[in-house]
Amino acid sequence: MTTVNEMPDITDMAGMTMPARYVGRSIKRINDPQLLAGTGRFVDDLSLPGMVHATILRSGFAHGTITGFDASASGALLVLGPDEIAAATSPMPCVWLAPGQRITHTPVASRTVRYVGQPIGIVVGDSRAEAEDYAEQVDLDIDDLPSVTDSGEAIVAGAPVLYPDLGDNTIAVVHAGSEQADIDAAFSGAHRIVERRLRIQRIAPNPLETRGLIARWDAGDERLTVWMSTQTPHHCRDHLALCLGLRADQVRVVMNEIGGGFGAKEHLYPDEIMVCLAAMRLGRPVKWVEDRVEHLTATLHGRDAVHHARLALDADGRFLALHSEILGNLGAHPSNVGLGPFRVSAGMLPGPYRIPVVGATIRAVVTNTTPTGAYRGFGMQEAAWVRERMVEETARELGVDPVELRLANMLEPGDLPYLTPTFQNYDSGDYPEALRRVRTMVAARPSRGDDGPRVRRGVGFASQVEFTGLGPSKSQQIVGFALGGYESAMVRMDPDGTVTVSSGVTGMGQGIETGFAQLVADNLGISIEHVTVRLGDSERDPYSATGSIASRSMTVGGGAVVTASRRLRERILAVAAHQLEIAASDLVMLPDAVGGDRISVNGSPDVSITMAKVAESAWLNWDVPETEAIGLEERYTYNPEDISFSYATHAAEVSVDLDTGLVKVEAYWVAHDSGVMVNPMICDGQILGGIAQGVGIALHEEMRWGEGGQPLTTTYLDYVLPVAADLPNVVIEHMVTPSPFIPGGMKGLGEGGVIPTPAAIANAVANAVPEIAGDLLETPLAPSTLWHLMSAAGLHDD
Amino acid sequence: MTASDITCTLNGVPCSTRADARTLLSDWLRHERGLTGTHVGCEHGVCGACTVLVDGRAVRSCLMLAVQVDGSEVETVESLGTTDELGSLQEAFRDSHGLQCGFCTPGILMSLTAAEREGVSVADAAGEVLGGHVCRCTGYQNIRAAIEAHWGALSGGGNS
Repeated sequence: MTTVNEMPDITDMAGMTMPARYVGRSIKRINDPQLLAGTGRFVDDLSLPGMVHATILRSGFAHGTITGFDASASGALLVLGPDEIAAATSPMPCVWLAPGQRITHTPVASRTVRYVGQPIGIVVGDSRAEAEDYAEQVDLDIDDLPSVTDSGEAIVAGAPVLYPDLGDNTIAVVHAGSEQADIDAAFSGAHRIVERRLRIQRIAPNPLETRGLIARWDAGDERLTVWMSTQTPHHCRDHLALCLGLRADQVRVVMNEIGGGFGAKEHLYPDEIMVCLAAMRLGRPVKWVEDRVEHLTATLHGRDAVHHARLALDADGRFLALHSEILGNLGAHPSNVGLGPFRVSAGMLPGPYRIPVVGATIRAVVTNTTPTGAYRGFGMQEAAWVRERMVEETARELGVDPVELRLANMLEPGDLPYLTPTFQNYDSGDYPEALRRVRTMVAARPSRGDDGPRVRRGVGFASQVEFTGLGPSKSQQIVGFALGGYESAMVRMDPDGTVTVSSGVTGMGQGIETGFAQLVADNLGISIEHVTVRLGDSERDPYSATGSIASRSMTVGGGAVVTASRRLRERILAVAAHQLEIAASDLVMLPDAVGGDRISVNGSPDVSITMAKVAESAWLNWDVPETEAIGLEERYTYNPEDISFSYATHAAEVSVDLDTGLVKVEAYWVAHDSGVMVNPMICDGQILGGIAQGVGIALHEEMRWGEGGQPLTTTYLDYVLPVAADLPNVVIEHMVTPSPFIPGGMKGLGEGGVIPTPAAIANAVANAVPEIAGDLLETPLAPSTLWHLMSAAGLHDD
Repeated sequence: MTASDITCTLNGVPCSTRADARTLLSDWLRHERGLTGTHVGCEHGVCGACTVLVDGRAVRSCLMLAVQVDGSEVETVESLGTTDELGSLQEAFRDSHGLQCGFCTPGILMSLTAAEREGVSVADAAGEVLGGHVCRCTGYQNIRAAIEAHWGALSGGGNS
């Protein structure tokens, strides 16, 4: 399935080269056994003495005012309503602010409700079932107000206004990329302009484990400990302290295993603050676990943007300019990241192409829907949808092969590094090669069976560049994203020669624990069996402002691990050299999982010292060079030089049933480059999982609202997730262009799988049914949608 | 609250207790019996994460009441192996990277365990049986690979 390129040996800072025993190999994941045996520690698996259970009261109205909240008839252990919660908490700050953003904070609770699912209170009982019984006894009056859920309708004169003080629903208008005058000039001088209105639907992230937490307040030392399903324990710690009026050193957030995140668990939610407040009031641990119906309305959604896009070309089919007017739906209030996804769409609009002028104007509006925020692909999937459909439509208008059109406009390896008009500094790689490789794979495909004239087949391509490894702190400051972009690693060898690495990034199923163990083992020169990885505890682990988001754990976090490990290795060698009375440069590491790791004289394996002996003496501070620091512990904080850019081309082959509108993805090919692959098996897994979520976007998933702003898709019978039959076996080829600056050479790949998938599938449908190609402007391409398009195109007339 | 006696066999061990009539089997296993390997993903019978075996048949434990297993034999993921000594199906999942976050995995393992005992073909195990589960992480490809490897290793070349 996979072409695994030979991994380079590791060269350390002293110029010493050693073989990569683990990096580049598909090592089995170190934390799989407990997950397979059912002994993982997901938050709902934990139980504390005296623990009680909460349920959250939520608005059943899309827009309204709470005029009555009476819990006097409830037998609950505790009920907190919006007034008490608001009085006890500070509003939650938006983390990523756009210039001129008119709302910058969100109250934890309020008497104004603006979406179905908004948390308005908390009820606590001895069990979850009791808490839900007591919740029924709370007398809640809400005066209904007119609502609006569609972003286009929200900006029409006379639309219901969510925040009357603001006068309208527009929260910010932001321009990105080339100057408007340059955009105007490029379009006025163009030989041809292709123009389309493209839409990306609302998605619910749906990790299989919903959100949840247990909060414990220790009155004696006035400390709050929170076990939580989160991707960002330090960030949640900081915001819990802020919103609850505590000092940061009074709050500890711990995450163990989490059942997926996909962006949905990258920050703190108001209902989570309510649970902590309840624990503080009761003096007893309180558990709350979101149920699936709640998840579909109370956890941030992704996407929901409309692009009015224009592509300008010269007479030779060269791209001159790309511009999009983006209308983004923020939901009921700007989330922690607010306009972030729409801004990233603008930034990544150019993709792998040489386009001299690229710009976007973003208008972000509030509606009576769940707020939108991070979801795997974060603006990049939307950008790829718009760009790759535009390229395909352009090829169709010109009557040229879409692959040739792409190749003619694609950045060549010699063009890199390349600063796009949207200020992305592409680092390295061979973008056309990825496309050519996929074209070759597609050409070699077997012919499919003939299902008669009413089933058509087609192939579609899509190319992308992925922004990974967020990011230098300075870049985050420039765009107003108030989180530091560095990561730290602590690598410690204990007196028995075993090693513990800890970092502020988190494992959420992506396998970062195994990747870090591989990096530590190779860069130290020990066996992987002697490495333990510790992540997810805000008190124990190095501070991480940004946490595991934005495909950054292996790049930024891994970069820190590589450097810390190499530095520790130098110190181990210095102690060993002192004791063996030989130069450190004459020593080699001899990893040995069974007999114990050793250090020996190069060429004389019998002259050696055990790692345990070196470690013991280092911690005794006996027989060590006087210039050496005591102990064997290295902490390194890495702030990357720049963003790392991975890239890929995908192709899908689909069948389309003209009579039912059913699209089936029959084959799928990928050529992908994310730099050095620490664990190719895990890299493939990330790509495959991303593609599955892309198939969901392409064909099935959509959050929809009906009359009165009521959500229509609140169970898995209505919100359709991809199942096994939706996914063919994918063929992946890897290219490896090491990052020019990340220690270890990795680039990120958490999101690359999902980014081009919907566009590749839609392009394949367009190829299969050219009669409707120009109408394939929004996802999902559900059977009913396609059936209607094909009917209108006269495909059902016979 | 109405409570009833439950006498059953749980992972091969006799079990006698009382449970509230309204307690779901999934909640009873997890919170009363401490068998937290059974996970609850949707609580409405679609995702399959909570699948356990009752008298050998794969059931959604979120759609059953605990009192319904009175007189039955119940098996959960904890019966398949331990962290130190995984069962062969579990090993196949590990070898093929058939799991990422691992939240849906116990339910899939239980459905496949029932399928294996029933002599279901590898094609049906990777199709029909896996089709009853939602996995948000893997894209299913590596789960199919695990199923194929495990079925292939079964004695007599599999049950197909």
